[in-house]
Amino acid sequence: MTAIHKMQSYYPNIMMHLPDNMDNITKKVREEIERGWIGPDKSCPYHPCHFTGQDCTFCYCPFYPCMDEDLGTSIRSKRGSDIWDCSYCLFIHRQEVGKYAMSEIKRMGISDPKDPRIRDILTEAKARFHRKGKTIMVLGATSDAGKSIAVAALCRILHRKGYLVAPFKSQNMSLNSKVTRKGFEIAMIQTLQSKAAGLKNPDQYMNPILLKPKGDAVSQVIVKGEPYGDYNVKDYYGKFVPGPGTEIVRGTVGFLKNRYDVVVMEGAGSPAEINIYNRDIANIGAAKIADAPCLLVVNVEWGGAFAYAVGTINLIPEEDRKRIKGIILNNIRGDVSKIAPGAKEVERILGIPVIGLVPHIELELPQEDSEALRDMKSKGSGNMKISVIRLPRISNFTDIDPLYLEDTTVKFITEPEELAGSGAIIIPGTKNTVEDLMWMKEKGLDKAILEQRGRVPILGICGGYQMMGRSLEDPNGIECGRPGTYEGLGLFDNVTRWGEYKKRTVLDEGVLLKTGGPVTGYEIHMGISEIVEKPLFSIERFTGNETEGSVREKEMLFGTYLHGVLEKPSFRRFFLSFVKGGENILSTSEPRDYDDLVEENLEKLASAFEKSMDVGKLMEILGEEQ
Amino acid sequence: MKVMFLGTSSGAGKTTVAALYCRYLHKKGISVVPFKASNLSNSAFITKDGYEIGMGQAFQAWVSGVEPSNDMNPVLLKPSGNGFIQLIVNGEAQTVSDADPMDRKAVMKKACEAFDRLSYKYDAVVCEGSGSPAELNLLDKDLANTGMMRERRIPAVLVGDIERGGVFAALYGTWLLMPEDVRPLLKGFIINRFRGDPTILGDAVDKIKELTGMEFIGTIPYAYLRFPEEDSLSESGGKLEGPTLIDAFIGNADSLLETAEDYGLDLKKIEDISSS
Ligand code: SF4
Repeated sequence: MTAIHKMQSYYPNIMMHLPDNMDNITKKVREEIERGWIGPDKSCPYHPCHFTGQDCTFCYCPFYPCMDEDLGTSIRSKRGSDIWDCSYCLFIHRQEVGKYAMSEIKRMGISDPKDPRIRDILTEAKARFHRKGKTIMVLGATSDAGKSIAVAALCRILHRKGYLVAPFKSQNMSLNSKVTRKGFEIAMIQTLQSKAAGLKNPDQYMNPILLKPKGDAVSQVIVKGEPYGDYNVKDYYGKFVPGPGTEIVRGTVGFLKNRYDVVVMEGAGSPAEINIYNRDIANIGAAKIADAPCLLVVNVEWGGAFAYAVGTINLIPEEDRKRIKGIILNNIRGDVSKIAPGAKEVERILGIPVIGLVPHIELELPQEDSEALRDMKSKGSGNMKISVIRLPRISNFTDIDPLYLEDTTVKFITEPEELAGSGAIIIPGTKNTVEDLMWMKEKGLDKAILEQRGRVPILGICGGYQMMGRSLEDPNGIECGRPGTYEGLGLFDNVTRWGEYKKRTVLDEGVLLKTGGPVTGYEIHMGISEIVEKPLFSIERFTGNETEGSVREKEMLFGTYLHGVLEKPSFRRFFLSFVKGGENILSTSEPRDYDDLVEENLEKLASAFEKSMDVGKLMEILGEEQ
Repeated sequence: MKVMFLGTSSGAGKTTVAALYCRYLHKKGISVVPFKASNLSNSAFITKDGYEIGMGQAFQAWVSGVEPSNDMNPVLLKPSGNGFIQLIVNGEAQTVSDADPMDRKAVMKKACEAFDRLSYKYDAVVCEGSGSPAELNLLDKDLANTGMMRERRIPAVLVGDIERGGVFAALYGTWLLMPEDVRPLLKGFIINRFRGDPTILGDAVDKIKELTGMEFIGTIPYAYLRFPEEDSLSESGGKLEGPTLIDAFIGNADSLLETAEDYGLDLKKIEDISSS
């Protein structure tokens, strides 16, 4: 267990499945056979390493290498040999499979993992338990209709029923992304939905196309977690979508259908944008590829919901319209029953049932939409005022969300005057460090921040951290399109350089050096920093520990590449303790892990949906008999 | 001349569009007055005579060069919580609730009388609807949208907001759900808060024209300008500069009018609709 196990769960293809390791695997499987069926092993510190409710009987798979492409994948190693990669396979961890495999092994009296009859057990187990997953798609009449939340709710509802569920959004345009354990970049919201599905490790198949807006109608296109190229709107729809796009969607959704019972798909924007209808792989286009029935979610809050529902469905060509099997009216404030007569009328007009009348639910979950940036938000008495610089190209602004666990008021600011009275300042991540640094200088925000040096704690995350350094060197114009060297804020003596077009995406786990408290996060950045400051964290790596971040405690300066750094209480509370009077404020609240709060809210969300939805009808649409 | 601006949802921008049209007529020397039969809001403007009217109508009056008056917004509904609403008709207040609803017929009559007084005094009455006109559960109670249109045969222009997506669905769906007797009064549509290259709308606009028979008036670009809020939902931040608040709003209306016309918003078409 422990270290090996951990590395295996992070780097399964490297550790576990190198042929040189075969003897080791055989030995482990022999031990597992001797031990017998154990079901979920809650005593294991890494449990659940795949999904909630997993069977842990075979941590090492008795079928290895099964060479079955429905389950594992074959990959080419750096050294050129083929390796059987099991990291996307959950088959042996399904309780019915683990139980069946072990009972057959025992029944046949097999003790040697090399026994050829094991192969027959796999064949039989597959015949009994493996089937292609069902799909269902959630469409929204508008952006912000509540699709993402509805997908998360469905994932959790189905997970509670014992299904192995994967979220999927073929194409997501988002400023908030996360890194998977294998270092692939996908939209933040799909990682949240995979958590709702009870999965430990979201993967790149769940959001195969990620569009990160760069400005001027150009987006960086990330395919299966890796940079693919920059496209403007015209070329994206003209070239990418009909070409590689369609095949990417087909391949990835097929991959998930092989491994999960249900794939809950999310659309993008409205499915009735008839000007691009024939070049769509985000809505009905994807539903067709996956052969998915669809639900339409309409946000009632703004009014006109019935018109949106009727218009959307009527603008979809008739042959596709029949895919839409149900309507959910979402975000109803006040008396839900008032809307019921209207819902009945819509059912009559469209011949499609309204399967949910969902009230407005107060949730504390990371938010995707830019509304999140608009307001000032307070938690508790809001005694600690924290100013976050609202950079024009801000990214990963969900980094800030865990602050709402404390007694804080968070305000996104754009003017130097607004800094007055702040208890702390945060410079967040950005899509373009250099451009946003220039913006800060134009606004005079650089000077305003420097005036606060030593008075209030200042934290830079990712791009904000790069800005805090002495200088930023972009000799090849990688970051902002023209070569140049720029003076940073000089809060640290670090220098960041964009030498080559290379992006670093990695998931990090480690400790805050000062206290030894745990910290987690992920890095997504171009540019490498030469760090000359005292480090903030120690990060565990496969190759040994590394330091990360910079700190000058006396001057209350903190910088890190880690997105999500405020999620665990250790660093969050360490940072806030520097705010004037911070310690008093902190002493009144419980240190909480943001992850636990998210989990609680996912439960609350799913229960609210369950209560206000016809779940039987949902199962019927899915084609699942109850 | 009379015309009604309807929105596909709250915050679609009907207040602003109606104001732009008021301004356009005023600049042409036509005497124009704004009107909204009923307003559900807690932020009211007090007229010189001490009456409360919606902030939106006050703004539209300023850009029309007239003094805000009670007739521009004869019915005001102020939610007072717990399912009770304060109903103010021509300045007289009473409290209504679900259990004891208002006498719709009587209120409608008062609204029509106010409209008639304005029609008599001015050459053009520019009306604004309230919320979406296609709320199936409220259709029979409607005052400001289909209610007024039906009573006074007012031709209408539908305003859709493209920012949230689904604008074509919203326009088509609203048209589809309009009661049959007033549907022929829907004459045109506008796409509001548009960003980027209008050619991307492609055939979609033609398709809506073909499906509904409505005319396309044009797009209005996304504006970083501040206007009085139509209701609690449209949170318009942005530029607001001038010696007085009124000057600032008028300045903003002038500059948006200019950009919108550059963008191809064809206000002449609305003039034709108003005279029909
Ligand atoms: S069944 Fe799954 S875990 Fe076992 S060898 Fe095949 S792919 Fe790997």
